[in-house]
Amino acid sequence: MYIELHARSAFSFLEGASSPEEMARSCAEFGMPSMALLDRDGLYGAPQFYLAANKIGVRAHIGAEVTCVQGWRYPLLVTSHEGYKNLCRLITHMKLRAAKGAGAIEVREWEGVSHGLICLTGGDEGPLAHALRNGGREAARKVIEQLCGIFGRNNVYVELQRHFSVQEERRNQVAIEIARNLHLPLLATNGVTHASPAQREILDVFTCLRHHRVLANAGRLLSCNSERYLKSPAQMAALFADLPEAIASTAELASRLQFTLKDLGYKFPTYPTPNNQSQMEYLRQRALEGMVHRYGTQNERAHLQIQRELSVIEKLDLPGYFLIVWDIIRFCREKNILVQGRGSAANSAVCYSLGITAVDPVGMNLLFERFLSEERGEWPDIDLDLPSGDQRERVIQYVYERYGKLGAAMTANVITYRGKSAAREIGKVLSFGQETLDRLASLVSAWEYTDSNDTLTRQFRDAGLDLANHRISKFFELCQKVQNLPRHLGQHSGGMVVCQGQLDSVVPLEPATMPGRVVVQWDKEDCADMGIIKIDLLGLGMMAVLEDSLKLIRAHNKVEIDLGHLPQDDPAVYSALQHADTIGLFQVESRAQMSCLPRLKPKCFYDIVVQVAIIRPGPIVGKMVHPYLNRRQGREVAESLHPSLESTLSRTLGVPLFQEQLLRMAMIAAGFSGGEAEELRRAFGFKRSEARMKDIEIKLRRGMESKGVTGETQNKIVQAITSFALYGFPESHAASFALIAYASAFLKCHYLAVFTTAMLNNQPMGFYQPATLIKDAQRHGQKFKPIDITCSQWECTIGESSENFPVRIGLRYVKGLHKETALQILTQRSIQPFASIEDLKQRVPQLQKDEMRVLAAIGALNFISNKTHIHRRSALWQVERAARPAGELFAEHLRNENSGPASRFLPSDPMNLTPMNNEERLVADFNGTGLTVGHHPMAQHRAELNRSGVSPASRLAALRDGAFVRVAGGVIVRQRPGTAKGFVFLSLEDETGIANIIIQPQLFEKDHTTVVHNSFLLIEGILQNQDGVISVKAGIIKPFHLIKAAAPAHNFH
Amino acid sequence: MSFTALFAAVYVPHFILQAIGRSEPELRTHPLAIVDGPSPTFQVIALNRIAELLGVARGMTKAAASQFAQVTIRPRCIIHEAAAHAALLDVAWSITPRVEDTAPDTLLLDISGLASLFGDEEKIALEIVERASALGMNVHVAISANLETARIVARALPGPTIVPDGEERHFLETLPVAMLSPSLELAEIFDRWGVATCKALTSLPVLSLSECVGQEGVRLHAIASGKGMRPLLLAEPVQHFEEWLELDDAVDDLESLSFLLGRLLDQLSARLSARAVSIAAIHVHFELQPAFDHAFDTSRDLLRVKPAPGTFSCMLEMPVPTRDAKLLLKLLHLRLQSRPPGAPIQKIQITAQSSLARVTQSSLFVPTAPDPDKLELTIARIAAVVGDSNVGSPQLLDSHQPDAFQVRKFSVASAGISDSRSIAQSVSTINSQSSAVTAIALHAFRPPVPARVQLQGNKPTLVFFQGRSGTVLHASGPWRTSGQWWEEKPWQEDAWDLEILFSGEAQPPRGFYRFSYDGMLEKWFVRGVYD
Repeated sequence: MYIELHARSAFSFLEGASSPEEMARSCAEFGMPSMALLDRDGLYGAPQFYLAANKIGVRAHIGAEVTCVQGWRYPLLVTSHEGYKNLCRLITHMKLRAAKGAGAIEVREWEGVSHGLICLTGGDEGPLAHALRNGGREAARKVIEQLCGIFGRNNVYVELQRHFSVQEERRNQVAIEIARNLHLPLLATNGVTHASPAQREILDVFTCLRHHRVLANAGRLLSCNSERYLKSPAQMAALFADLPEAIASTAELASRLQFTLKDLGYKFPTYPTPNNQSQMEYLRQRALEGMVHRYGTQNERAHLQIQRELSVIEKLDLPGYFLIVWDIIRFCREKNILVQGRGSAANSAVCYSLGITAVDPVGMNLLFERFLSEERGEWPDIDLDLPSGDQRERVIQYVYERYGKLGAAMTANVITYRGKSAAREIGKVLSFGQETLDRLASLVSAWEYTDSNDTLTRQFRDAGLDLANHRISKFFELCQKVQNLPRHLGQHSGGMVVCQGQLDSVVPLEPATMPGRVVVQWDKEDCADMGIIKIDLLGLGMMAVLEDSLKLIRAHNKVEIDLGHLPQDDPAVYSALQHADTIGLFQVESRAQMSCLPRLKPKCFYDIVVQVAIIRPGPIVGKMVHPYLNRRQGREVAESLHPSLESTLSRTLGVPLFQEQLLRMAMIAAGFSGGEAEELRRAFGFKRSEARMKDIEIKLRRGMESKGVTGETQNKIVQAITSFALYGFPESHAASFALIAYASAFLKCHYLAVFTTAMLNNQPMGFYQPATLIKDAQRHGQKFKPIDITCSQWECTIGESSENFPVRIGLRYVKGLHKETALQILTQRSIQPFASIEDLKQRVPQLQKDEMRVLAAIGALNFISNKTHIHRRSALWQVERAARPAGELFAEHLRNENSGPASRFLPSDPMNLTPMNNEERLVADFNGTGLTVGHHPMAQHRAELNRSGVSPASRLAALRDGAFVRVAGGVIVRQRPGTAKGFVFLSLEDETGIANIIIQPQLFEKDHTTVVHNSFLLIEGILQNQDGVISVKAGIIKPFHLIKAAAPAHNFH
Repeated sequence: MSFTALFAAVYVPHFILQAIGRSEPELRTHPLAIVDGPSPTFQVIALNRIAELLGVARGMTKAAASQFAQVTIRPRCIIHEAAAHAALLDVAWSITPRVEDTAPDTLLLDISGLASLFGDEEKIALEIVERASALGMNVHVAISANLETARIVARALPGPTIVPDGEERHFLETLPVAMLSPSLELAEIFDRWGVATCKALTSLPVLSLSECVGQEGVRLHAIASGKGMRPLLLAEPVQHFEEWLELDDAVDDLESLSFLLGRLLDQLSARLSARAVSIAAIHVHFELQPAFDHAFDTSRDLLRVKPAPGTFSCMLEMPVPTRDAKLLLKLLHLRLQSRPPGAPIQKIQITAQSSLARVTQSSLFVPTAPDPDKLELTIARIAAVVGDSNVGSPQLLDSHQPDAFQVRKFSVASAGISDSRSIAQSVSTINSQSSAVTAIALHAFRPPVPARVQLQGNKPTLVFFQGRSGTVLHASGPWRTSGQWWEEKPWQEDAWDLEILFSGEAQPPRGFYRFSYDGMLEKWFVRGVYD
């Protein structure tokens, strides 16, 4: 029996052309009982290989090819857990001391770390071939003796590969001779780099990418034939018919490879408790303390729930995990870092009591099993939302410090070949010219999700590309084949793994691109599959806004706000929500949310939870939105899909809106167990597999039939489940988000200056541009002050006025102004105010000419001299003067003048420059900052607009449904959601508010250029006023040319 | 009598349009838009008034402009523009030898003292307008004692304009500052300052202006005041020679084409002779009848850089510069014979790269090389018979494909001492390699000899080739190679090294051969014999 013991997968990054799953599948097809995967300098593909192989009954041997500084690679196989640890540590060691993507070991470094490893002499890149090429037979013999010295004579196998190459056969003859002389066993392998012969083409493409060549000039860098595919035992036996012992050795060696990834040796860290208390006892105490804080002492239901949860936690031996998350929360609280758990953790009363989450699962009757169940035997998943930016980084660094550099790491994110990037790279390798490449890349999105060849042929032909052309069709074929193969390793945005002891003996670590960060070689899914616990530390812009808001309120309003104890039923909040006055609010500010709010009319917190969850692709595709809203308005009877589902669906009026409901529906209607229901969710979840989904659907239907749920009801239930398993929110998650949404609404309603300032200081985030946020705040009565170099800070700040706290725009909004330069301006200003523009330039020499021009153009330099106020053009004049180098002749003179006021510092204002008019100031504001605190661009044309019958946005609500209207404004959002059948939604802003425009697909097609390329539009159409949701169905679209200023719009497609 | 300097500026408004109008006068009365830019985003860069009235606008994409059915859309034609410019220069030089080639659409002429030839300023201006009109161009002419004033007024005002001495500032003050052609940076500064007209500029204090924007500002200030002076930069003769011919009826036979080419080459040769330079290379460009587009879209090279439809180009590089029009014609004739354009030709353009004539003296110690002209002609004659790719020096390719090579253009230019050195070096490299690895020499058969082979299992046992047959005593292989899977014709080969015992009286009775099985042709060949 032959067993392949030297194979590389695509996780050797550009040196292998098949996924580990494909390898395992081919292996099983040949009836090979086991196989070894040896990827280059890592165990990147090991988990996927292990899991895939395990599933189909193949034993996955683990190993790697490790690069040595002399240039060859040691093919290593792991025999024992000790060997695995050694290999992981060795790879970590060599990776962490080198730049990302590099690293090699020295021969001397093998001392003490070679136990449990078997070394092969390798193929073309192995030590034997290397020595033979460079020093001949004698050197080859020496190197093998050296390997015997390192790994032990019993742990070295002389490898033979046969790919029908003369040079290789010559090497084999030498290898056989040396093996016989040294009494070492021969081992046949095929040095596999792809699963099937056809994948050699991918390998050649990868070779070109690795060497920055194209196929036409890669020459002998490419494979000489297609023989490095996974061959069957019969093929290999025939190849080595003259050396049967080399084949026999494979089975013998495989039997020595006892290690599998099942014995990973991962342990979650033990939390150090005081006084030798057990972790469980310590957790129990913390949870009960928290319970008193959260629920008081009289809440029996909560007490029972917490006890129940604690017993599950104890049974699953998870107290350490909860304590470690609690520890992170404690750190955040100590450092005043806002933190909130999201996701299914919000279903747990223990998490609530520990302060990990902020949603009361007992009060909201949430399903604990969605988070943790004995049956599933899975690790819980807790995601923590943190303020994005520096604060999140502080928490990450705390985890590194707490568990040591080698005890914690970020999970990797495997970047795969997809879409346009794949098309471009393959196109380049095939030597397509730029023009052809552009055309091919533009087609990618068109053919990525289609499988109809007819359509494809037509699309290619329309683009002037003939699929009958050999290279075009090759391109297409290669693009398909390369999809989803790994390209390189990135860093996951927030996933961290921690380990008891040394994480580097569990999985190799390597440096991330970001300094101070270490990543594991496995992505987050692989980590989860291998039982490594991950904590997601996610950055959320709104958390940063809330945190900043609290600080500002403390400083300016002298009030301490506790987000955990906000008034529950604040009328201002609900009024704003009901009127869709939600610009800037978390999760409820999008156009779709705004058009739903007046119909849903939230009256209590749970309504916000529903509101957050309902505008998601799941409920929209599953056609849940309208039935829910109709039932809420009493237009439809609130009945469940099936009487048995009444208890599950009653609180959402018979319409399933949350993931938990989907699980319960499957459990009730189809008799699924909790674990099966979770399996269903995963099948329809992120990593969708057609076959898996089909299987589950069959099971679901069968289950329902056995329970008597048939016909249309069955179809409806299946549609509900399948459509939003992926894109629906869990109720607990929606509740967590709803809390943040409520908090943001509360702050906006009661502390508008603070909230707007915090929003402006945390851009980019959310749905709207700063210009829109400012205009919205102005409509709510907020005053703003423009950027002024004499008083603006880097961030936006709140003025000390007792009346309404005007917001001063910060220097961060000056386009092109570097932060370091701005900070230098502030430093110099604090020492002594600037006397003039020339003085500014002298004291802040790094200030560039363009930066000064922008400052002058936006009026930031108007008050620089405390003696006189200059206008923007005057400042621009002086900037040109100040920014010109004085030249050698005057430099000395100027240096002398620096000690005191000089004539050159005095403004020289040519009185002939005309000050900017309103329009020009507006244009300069938008060009220089992307916003204006002055009048809205539309305001100065209002009289003219009134004459031509254009209604201001604020008047639309007063007009009758079906009226013909004419509106005009700046486009702030363009949207064409995938779920809207080609309809386009525009938000048109004028000085009074926002008009929502609906454009039908045909009209959009006709006026595409006008809609997409104009900042201001004039639209005529029919007003729709349905349940307080106001929109204009566009009939005629024209560009509005009166205004030159262009506020940037957010485009969502 | 006092001498007063006087300058005339000639400006061609809508130059791009007029350049096309010269060759196709009927387009002048039609709505016309010219497009240009990076493909596929062609944009309208020029259009006439009629097109503008129909709704076409500058900057519109070609697709958008195409929606106006009446509008004729033409790509920008640099050749037409060059021709128009050359014609404009001809007009200028016919008036005065002192001409400044300011821009493709603008020339400045020193017309001082020409009154005795043409009359007063007005008459000179009219003369220029008339002569330009005869060459198919409507021009603006402005005459002023100030060079820059003349240039700016010509650009701004139609018809002949005479700027009286001392009235320059008055003529300029209402004109936009953009007419002064400030640098991009200065134009932006003026825009920021709100300085829109020459008057606004002249009202700024010069000294402060100098402090703010430097000497360019001062210069423009002076120009705007009608006081900017500078010397005339006389046009230098060009080193670029081009002749072209547009045919009413397309030519499709080589003899007629040779006649036309001969005429153009004679003209070129005469122009070059006058300048005492020779031709180092000529580039011939044909525009073909559109119906034959597809004929040129098949080769793989063309897939990469797809030429504009309906064109054919070829380049003739001379081993040494020459002015021999007959030789050039002969070479061109041979080249076209071996690689004909394949479609009737509508337009011929010949561009010559000039070079100084060859001056050589043979060395006493270097063997005499063949006359480069004759050698080139001989190679061209052979290429016409066997094809371009079959003449030259072989060069091994970096490929796994056995025996892969390409043919490079043969050249004797580098023959001499350096060559003998490189040969010696390569010999020593070969020697050092052969001492490291003892290799058996293979006498390769080119082309390989077809053979028949009988197999047992997958191993050859009996072979037949060149009328001989033999039994395989030992077989080593297969040595498998394959490649170029991305091309229409990939290759795949299994090579075998065979020891053969020949039957009959064959001499020698046994031998070592390399056989190969071509997997694409499914045929056996003998690649060579081992010594």
